Amino acid sequence: MSTRSKVRTAILAYLIVFVSLVFFVGPMLWIGYTSFRTQSSIFSGQVISPLTEYTIQNYQTVLSVSDFPRYFWNSIEIGAIVTLVSLFASIIGAYALSRFDIRWKNAFIIGIFSTQMFPQVLLIIPMYLVIVDLSLLDKVIGVVLGQLILVLPFQIWMLKGYFDNLPLDLDEAARIDGCNIPERLLYVIVPVAAPGISVAAFYSFVVSWGDYLIVSVISQSQRTATVTLIMQRLSASLLIRWGEVAAVTILAIVPTILLFSFIQGRLVAGLTAGAVREE
Amino acid sequence: MSADQTVQLTKRVRRFPIIKESQQGALLLLPALIVIAVFTVYPLLDGLRMAFTDQNLLRNTIDYVGLDNFTRMLSDNVFWLSLQHSLILTTVVVVLQFVLGLVLAWTMNQNLPGMGLFKSIIMASWVIPVAATVTMFKFMAQPDIGLINIALKAIGFGNLNRYWFGDLTTALPFIILLHLWRNVPFYGIAFLAAMQAIPKSYYEAAEIDGAGTWDRFRHITLPGIRNMIVVMVTIHVLWTFNNFDFVWLATGGGPVNATDVLPTYVYRQSWTQYDLGYAASMGTVMLIILMIYFVVYMRVFERREKS
Repeated sequence: MSTRSKVRTAILAYLIVFVSLVFFVGPMLWIGYTSFRTQSSIFSGQVISPLTEYTIQNYQTVLSVSDFPRYFWNSIEIGAIVTLVSLFASIIGAYALSRFDIRWKNAFIIGIFSTQMFPQVLLIIPMYLVIVDLSLLDKVIGVVLGQLILVLPFQIWMLKGYFDNLPLDLDEAARIDGCNIPERLLYVIVPVAAPGISVAAFYSFVVSWGDYLIVSVISQSQRTATVTLIMQRLSASLLIRWGEVAAVTILAIVPTILLFSFIQGRLVAGLTAGAVREE
Repeated sequence: MSADQTVQLTKRVRRFPIIKESQQGALLLLPALIVIAVFTVYPLLDGLRMAFTDQNLLRNTIDYVGLDNFTRMLSDNVFWLSLQHSLILTTVVVVLQFVLGLVLAWTMNQNLPGMGLFKSIIMASWVIPVAATVTMFKFMAQPDIGLINIALKAIGFGNLNRYWFGDLTTALPFIILLHLWRNVPFYGIAFLAAMQAIPKSYYEAAEIDGAGTWDRFRHITLPGIRNMIVVMVTIHVLWTFNNFDFVWLATGGGPVNATDVLPTYVYRQSWTQYDLGYAASMGTVMLIILMIYFVVYMRVFERREKS
């Protein structure tokens, strides 16, 4: 390429980078900025206010006066249980599909993947009745069971892809050394597949943390209400205290961004492991 | 290997005969299968059954009503409007995501300073809760105090001042914007990963043959990332068509049904009207639409594969 066209390419690329940053990162910065402003400065319609108009009062109110800490804890609890249970079920399930000669295996694989096609708004109607029958309405376990179906199929598909790319010799060597299946999984496969498994864990926590549909139907009270539910209620009220809403939003974003910062390098490779076959 | 070791080895192998292993393997699948059976397969079948009943949470009696729910749909304007919005939204969103994702991937594929940092932060929009995304955009779309209107006023378009999610003409485009905000970086990073797996020698050979930028893109890059395109488009067609929370949280389907899509209408029928039977019948229609899409898609895809 000539130098001139290289320069032109670079200018175009940086222009796209700039526009992308404004569009994709700008809104997060703006809500963060807003969370430190007083109600009156937000309502002034000005971008910049006098220094006295900046405050941490919004966070103080949200964290000490409101019930927010309760909801935050509910979200963490539900997210953690969903992550642990779905990891357990998807690791062993994906391992089974990847390594064993199971009858109707292909039917299972296609069946599990096609559950992704089912409209969740349809599934949740009978699921609600099941949850009621099991007396799990408004219980943490009820929400967890509901959210599991959001993450399990994709997780299995993703981990199966990941396991498929690991050499069979690993299992074979462990088997010859006398490891039974659980030992092989625990001591050989899980450590080797840790990067993929960490992405699966991240995926299920983030999906659970961000879920609105399941929680909105199964949660009936403070006992199980999560951060997403409260965000919706706050921004739907009549007189919106935007500073506090912004603080809640930031507090809801921060855990996911923190986890993301650990995982970001591996995220896409892990998510699309099922799509990419090493041949 | 000494004879001793060989004996020991066969002994160990014999302790775990292959046939038994595959049975144990099947057991490993059981926990996931049970969850999927109880909370996905059974609800699906029960939902399909419910579509032919008049089940309502406010009534105790349940009767089979044949195709009544489906004939009711035919004359339900909101249903048709929602269906139309769902199809438009899904098509526009997936096409734009695909094109913008390619542009982003091309950009990130340029070997320029700072690109690594850009790549590492750009996907943040995908990981934060949808409810947070919606809150951020609702705030920015506020009349007078929202950043969008402040910016428009600053460049002399103050007369456009409005609540962008509350306006009949701009509400749906803003829903599209939300979808793009969340997923375009994901497309970009995924396409980039696929692009980087294409051997550099292909491009070098093409350059020697005198192929231009467009030719290289058309004949090397696109075929090289084809599998990734198929996966991303498939997942996102499902995801967008079935997506409920963007519309529900941003507008609730309003103003006056201007943004209603099938998922929000189904949700409203089930949880505000408690009309489970009717809701289930519309959910069934959603499923049928997706199944038709897949059959057509697979056909086209297979034909391409052959040629």
